[in-house]
Amino acid sequence: MATIERRRAVYRGSRIPQPIPTVLQRDPTLEDVLTVNFGPNHPSTHGVLRLIVDLHGERVVGLDAVIGYLHTGFEKTMEQKTWWKCVTYPERIDYVSFQYNELVYVLAVEKLLGLRIPRKATWARMLFSELARIHSHLVYLGTSALEIGAISMFWYCFRERDLVLDLFEMVAGTRMHTRYFQVGGLAEDIPVGFYDEARAFCKRMPEAVDEYEAILNSNQIWLERTRGVGLLSAEDAIALGQTGPNLRASGVDWDLRRREPYLAYDQVEFRVPVYHGGDVFDRYKVRVDEMRESTKIVVQCIDRLEEMHGEPWIADDRKVVLPPREELHTSMESLIHHFKIVTEGFRVPEGEVYVGVESARGESGCYLVSDGGPKPWRAKFRAPSFAALHATATCAQDELVADLIATVGSLDAVMGDVDR
Amino acid sequence: MAIDKSIDRSRISRRPLAEAGLQSERLLWPSKKGVFEDEVENLEDALGLTTLEKAVAWAQTRSMWPATFGLACCAIEMMSIVSSRYDIARFGMERFSSSPRQADLMIVSGRVAHKMAPPLRQVYDQMLEPKWVIAMGACASSGGMFNNYTILQGVDKIVPVDIHVPGCPPRPEALMEGIVRLHEKVLAGVPPAYEIRGAASG
Amino acid sequence: MSYEGVPGLVETREALGESTLVVDPARVLEACTHLRDELGFNLLLDITATDYLGWGDAGVSGYYGTGGGRDLNDPMTQGYERTPEPKPKRFSLSYHLLRVADDHARVRVQLWLDDGQPVESVVPVWPTADWHEREAWDMMGIPFEGHPNLRRLLMDDDWEGHPLRKDYPLGGEPVRFSEEE
Repeated sequence: MATIERRRAVYRGSRIPQPIPTVLQRDPTLEDVLTVNFGPNHPSTHGVLRLIVDLHGERVVGLDAVIGYLHTGFEKTMEQKTWWKCVTYPERIDYVSFQYNELVYVLAVEKLLGLRIPRKATWARMLFSELARIHSHLVYLGTSALEIGAISMFWYCFRERDLVLDLFEMVAGTRMHTRYFQVGGLAEDIPVGFYDEARAFCKRMPEAVDEYEAILNSNQIWLERTRGVGLLSAEDAIALGQTGPNLRASGVDWDLRRREPYLAYDQVEFRVPVYHGGDVFDRYKVRVDEMRESTKIVVQCIDRLEEMHGEPWIADDRKVVLPPREELHTSMESLIHHFKIVTEGFRVPEGEVYVGVESARGESGCYLVSDGGPKPWRAKFRAPSFAALHATATCAQDELVADLIATVGSLDAVMGDVDR
Repeated sequence: MAIDKSIDRSRISRRPLAEAGLQSERLLWPSKKGVFEDEVENLEDALGLTTLEKAVAWAQTRSMWPATFGLACCAIEMMSIVSSRYDIARFGMERFSSSPRQADLMIVSGRVAHKMAPPLRQVYDQMLEPKWVIAMGACASSGGMFNNYTILQGVDKIVPVDIHVPGCPPRPEALMEGIVRLHEKVLAGVPPAYEIRGAASG
Repeated sequence: MSYEGVPGLVETREALGESTLVVDPARVLEACTHLRDELGFNLLLDITATDYLGWGDAGVSGYYGTGGGRDLNDPMTQGYERTPEPKPKRFSLSYHLLRVADDHARVRVQLWLDDGQPVESVVPVWPTADWHEREAWDMMGIPFEGHPNLRRLLMDDDWEGHPLRKDYPLGGEPVRFSEEE
């Protein structure tokens, strides 16, 4: 029992490695150091990250992260596609919480256009964003618990994940990468049977989270492996550009949904969990609490959306938004608009804009530059996982190899997001 | 599950779809052979396996361990076939082997960047024969929606592929269909791709 | 929010609810230190490099755009032709900053650079700039002076060229649609 009490407190000040903040360089006087390559293909499930680790016995004394194994050239590819066709690309960037990238891209284009979207679309976007957050945290919990050794968590979490994906399938026809958010609103209306299924899910979810906490929170092994491991102080977290659960687990109360509300977050009630330990356990606690809070938000969204049944789900402006298919048979103008939007694309006024949203991993941002033409001139995505990996060298100091795995898993970096 | 309560429920017929003529090769019309099944049967007759070879093929398909090669979005769907709803353990494949030496099947799930191609080939080379490759998803089969400077246009440029599974990402059921077809190929006696294709093998 | 005290400030632009500070590239380190210490912008979100080669070559018309003459939410007004404003130099480097505090604020610091013109690295100010600057170097070829580890990040170490530049081809393979080709 005494071992649980001995939890390392988060350090004061800064221990970011110098001179290179993202590379932990080993002490050159140290002898008997083994360099191990955690290659791009490795048993941990967070993707193709390569860590070159110097080990002195079991202690990590040097760390260098090599990325780029999933570089897809999203930004350059998006410069060749029209604004409407681009919607399918961002969602594959952060492929675990895919709705957020869509959301941030679509919000940025709408900001440049100055387009007003109907409130049903706003509330539905909020609902699906929170479902995407739950989905992302379930995948995080399942896979990072699997890496640490709590293998059965994988099956528990993926059972609920399938329920979330069923909800996505109901509205958009496909489980992942739904392209459901479009410029101007949503792609399709929400079918009526959806609300009952969503309520059933929201009833199930808190029970499921209770199950996860019952398995892990008082489990000696879990506590020993996660408490006091992967420490990151608040000062270091801000200096290293961390946002989202990583920042909130280090004690900084910063959540874009509260501070700079977008969509309709100022009209729903939810709590922002903040913990002060800065270790793997607190990041886990933040994410589990966020799952509960997201469920509450989903319930509130369902209540509001049921009142809005029958309202339009996409903006009216036919020069930007595709007309409904029934009209194409009868109206010549609709046919022309449809043709122009699909072939040439609608034109977005010149300007540059940056929009940030609170995704499951942190602040996900989209910086768009438009030259007034039908294609983006520059589309840059601020990836929260990219910043999360900056902290690997800082968190991994004085750790054992096994703790390194727990740390990297808890930073919740999705390699598609990192490499773009 | 009511999708739309405005549908007049009396108009929905209770007749099984097979009677209405729906042709789904595998499930509803077992007596009709699909193209794939036809070809596999022809190959099986042509190759004429001995009982011992048939037994070996049977054993190979019942416990074909996949190597963990999840790269991108398709990896998340690959993880979901391990989950309890789509349970791949009933095929004996739940043990995803991290060590290529003990793996039989490499499911390349996700887009392969040029930087990732050498590690991919290295992992393939480290697998012991007999070994099979499934290219899961559009990106692994042909580069998918990314036709640019950094994505390999199809993983069959560097490793010989047995089964391509389309989709972006393919549903777990689609991936399982691919795996089941691979099993049927192996049971029929079709050699693994590295023996058939001249390119990118050895 | 007044940004007058920022050293090297050339211009302040406000558009779409965002403030952009155009800063002289030679004094970017001073400006960033001032922004972090005096004005409290403690979190660097993103460093984005943009290549404006070919900006304004393709004349774009305002048929669907607002161009100042049309309100998208009031569909009966008409637009008119417009070409984009010319940019001062080829590359722009935008630093997106955030103040994580109760009086939160955002600002964008923008530099205008020629091809090959080096910029001082802001890693001493915000350590997170390390990888962002490496990415800007890798993708756009903007050299950063004083960066402790300026190597390629996303591409292979021996890759030639800077992929995100406008004169770098998209690459990929031509798609064969029939057997005859």
